[in-house]
Amino acid sequence: MSLDSQSLDPLIDSLPDYAKDLKLNYSSLVRQNSELTPQQLWGTVLSCAMATRSDALTKAATEAARAQLSEQALTAAQTAAALMGMNNIFYRFQHLASNEKYSTMPARLRMNGIRTHGVESQDFELWCLAVSAINGCGKCIDSHEKVVREKGVTEETVMAVVRVASVVHAIGAVLDAERVTDKSPV
Amino acid sequence: MLGIGEKFPNFEVTATVSRTKGKEFETITSESYPGKWKLYFFWPKDFTFVCPTEIAGFGKLNSEFAARDAQILGGSIDSEYVHLAWRNNHEDLKELPFPMLSDLKREITEQLGILDPKSGVAQRATFLVDPDGIIRFVYVTEGSVGRNPSEVLRVLDALQTDELCPCNWHKGEETIHV
Repeated sequence: MSLDSQSLDPLIDSLPDYAKDLKLNYSSLVRQNSELTPQQLWGTVLSCAMATRSDALTKAATEAARAQLSEQALTAAQTAAALMGMNNIFYRFQHLASNEKYSTMPARLRMNGIRTHGVESQDFELWCLAVSAINGCGKCIDSHEKVVREKGVTEETVMAVVRVASVVHAIGAVLDAERVTDKSPV
Repeated sequence: MLGIGEKFPNFEVTATVSRTKGKEFETITSESYPGKWKLYFFWPKDFTFVCPTEIAGFGKLNSEFAARDAQILGGSIDSEYVHLAWRNNHEDLKELPFPMLSDLKREITEQLGILDPKSGVAQRATFLVDPDGIIRFVYVTEGSVGRNPSEVLRVLDALQTDELCPCNWHKGEETIHV
């Protein structure tokens, strides 16, 4: 069975030996999850899979998330990945640029999805935080972290989300490598 | 004239919505199209020179406005029959994708304060109204100077674009509550 058509669990199980640590991390963080609500967990898996840009992972994660999330939550997680894909670049530019003038100029970028997603706002913000961690925008990480803490989310929960993001991202990279690596015996 | 932040007036008028026999006219009120932005634009008289170009111009951008949840509603003080005759008569108006309001009793134009005192017809005025019925943009030109529909689209875009990401917050500013 090609990697493309596998659903998430078999995909994880098929990870090569060199990625054993990732497989076990996925097992404890996702399969044995005890720190996040199902919505928080699967929204994180989905939005982070999308941010990782692995076809196989995104396809499998979307299918898996569909079984775990409401229609609205699924769309909200996709929205978080979509909008952070834009904001992480834009605001990272602002905070990396030595010219501070850019931080005072209006963005003129639509991001109404941040307001209209319809799910619990702390969950949506956690997904934004996870994607920002993957895309590496420091300003975004700090501001979303601040927002979720103001909404009562603990640092432990934030760490749990970031662990999931880290492992999902790594798995995506391995899956991509496996797809293009020649397996035939020498 | 009503301005920014004021409520668009209540009204109920007949509108010309189509050239298809039996389906030409509908009643439209200030409560029609709930949840949408409205782009109301008025012109002095049907069958005059500047107007068809402008009206067709808005028509060409109808899908852009629709994508931004905005309903275009054109209007003048002409009756719905004059609107129909004009649409049947003028090539650029035949396939107009939005309604033409007939403000025959001048109830909308008077309440808006755009009834020209000398001519007794509507001035060339455009209003962008948000889903709560509040006027957010007013654009009026004199007599024969046509409007720029792209400019109205630009303004709608700007009105709808808010920096909602906490990344945008500056020290000392109020928190955004979403």
